[in-house]
Formats: sequence, structure tokens, C-alpha cells
Amino acid sequence: MWELDPPTLITVLTIIFSSIGIVLGCVVPAIMEGIATKQALESMARQPEAANDLRTTLLISMALLESTAIYVLLVILILIFVNPLLDRFFI
Amino acid sequence: METVTPQVVFTIFGIAIKDSVVSTWVIMVVLITLAWFVGKYKPGIAEVIIDSISGIVASVMPDDTKVIKYLSILGTLAIFLVVANIFSVIPFLVAPTANINTTLALAIVVFFAVHGFGILEKGPWGYIKSVASPIFILPLEIVSQVSRTVSLSIRLFGNILSTDLIVAIVFSIIPFFLPLPLVALSILTGVLQAYIFTVLASVYIASAVVVEDKETERRRLKREASRSS
Repeated sequence: MWELDPPTLITVLTIIFSSIGIVLGCVVPAIMEGIATKQALESMARQPEAANDLRTTLLISMALLESTAIYVLLVILILIFVNPLLDRFFI
Repeated sequence: METVTPQVVFTIFGIAIKDSVVSTWVIMVVLITLAWFVGKYKPGIAEVIIDSISGIVASVMPDDTKVIKYLSILGTLAIFLVVANIFSVIPFLVAPTANINTTLALAIVVFFAVHGFGILEKGPWGYIKSVASPIFILPLEIVSQVSRTVSLSIRLFGNILSTDLIVAIVFSIIPFFLPLPLVALSILTGVLQAYIFTVLASVYIASAVVVEDKETERRRLKREASRSS
């Protein structure tokens, strides 16, 4: 693979590592959101009178957790569509 | 990618007007007309909307807050964001919040609203004292303010852009019936993100306005108790 010309090499490496990055960046927040939802559901089942407070807090914390996955997605969109390395070195 | 990146519609004096700006103008006209119409002829609908939004805002603020003071900016944010996030459901139109400039502008509005309400509530000196009560808290506070503004804008932008992109990609592969669940998902995400933006803005305003007040109140009560005993 290393005998490719540099722009093609950078493109291939970008695609490979973007795939790895989006998998990691989706899986880890999904697991953590699952844990948070599990705990919140258990608490709601135990104390149904606190369900409204728990739901609001759960939504806010899920948004904060989800934003990390969104950051990964943004970085990977930038890498795929407007790759700064290609622009800087080869155009 | 052309369906989700901003396109130049026309130029005024060399300033390029992108399609998200035109969408924002359309939404502004529609919302102002609807607000005038509903307020004049159907006040019951306006009452229902205001009640639901003030219930959402009051559920995250402390109990003794006057919600009605902050309801003008938070309600405007909620209504505008609900309409703007699901605006790309209509064919040939783009959501204005799929452009990072719109969401960054909204987040900066929230940033100044937080400090403005804090200063209005406590006075300039009192607000500075509450932000930097031990002075080494001040750099942490500045970092937290800037990062919460950036994360507020990037969260909304990333969610709306990603769902629009998914719909566009699936539509370019299979244009029959398969994009429909994804359009439903984009509507759900849009409404949820509008709710989350409003709730986070009210949490930030509440943290600037109320919490330190209760803390100083608690300290004052403690001091009086120790003095009397």
C-alpha cells in the first residue's frame, strides 16, 4: 500500500481510520446511554412519583452524552468531504 | 452533499445570501403572521402553547423562580427551533439549523442572555462576585462558559445535519418509501433537539440567576444562627 502516490495514500488512510473512528464514536456513547437509561428506568420503577424529574434529567444527560458522538461525526464528515490535509499539501 | 451544504441563492452588494438565510426569513414571516393571527383571533391556542412551554421551563428551574420573566426569549427559541428543525421535511427547502452559523448565532444569543439576566438580577458587582467568589474560579468559569456555548451550537448543528444527510443519502440510493422512516426520525430528532436546546438554555439561565442566591442565603442564615447561639 505504501507505493501509492501520496494523495491516494492519504485518501485511503482517511477512509480506513474514519471507519474505525465512527465505529468507536458510536459504540461507546451508545453503551453509556444504555447504562444511563437502565438506571433511570430502574429508579422510575422503584419510585414512580419521581418519574417526571428523572425523565427531564435523563433527557438532558442523554443530550450531553450524545454530543460526543456528534463531535466524532463532525470530525469524520470534515475528514471525508473537505480533507484539510489534501488541501494543504497537494492542491 | 449538495442538498445539505448551503448554496448561494443571490447576492446583494457582493454579499452572498445563502439558502439557510432565505429559509430563516421565510420562517420569520410565517411565525410573525401566525403569532399575530393566533393572538388576535384564537387566544386559546396561544394560551395552550405558552402554558406548555412555561411548564417545560419551570420543570428545570428552581421552584421560587419567576418563569414569566425569561419566557419571552426561551419560548421564542423553542417555537423557532421546532419550526426550523423540521423545515427540511418540505421538499426543496433546507433547515436553517443545518448551517453552523445559525446555531452559533443562537448559542451566542443564549450566552449574552445568561449574563444579561444575571446582571439584571444581581447588579453588575454582585454578578461578578457570584461568578468569581474565590478568584481562582474565574478561569474555570470562563472556560466553562465558552465550551458550553460551543457545545450548544455544535450539538444542534450536528444532529440536524446528520439526519438531513442520512435522508439525502438513502434518497439518492432508493427513492421509494425507504426514506419515509428516516424522515420520521428526522422530525423526532428535530423536536427533541429543540426541547433540549430550550431546556439547556433555561438551566444555564437558572444557574446564572438563582443558585448562588440560595447559596448566599444559606450562608447568611448559617452566620446568623452561629451569631445567635
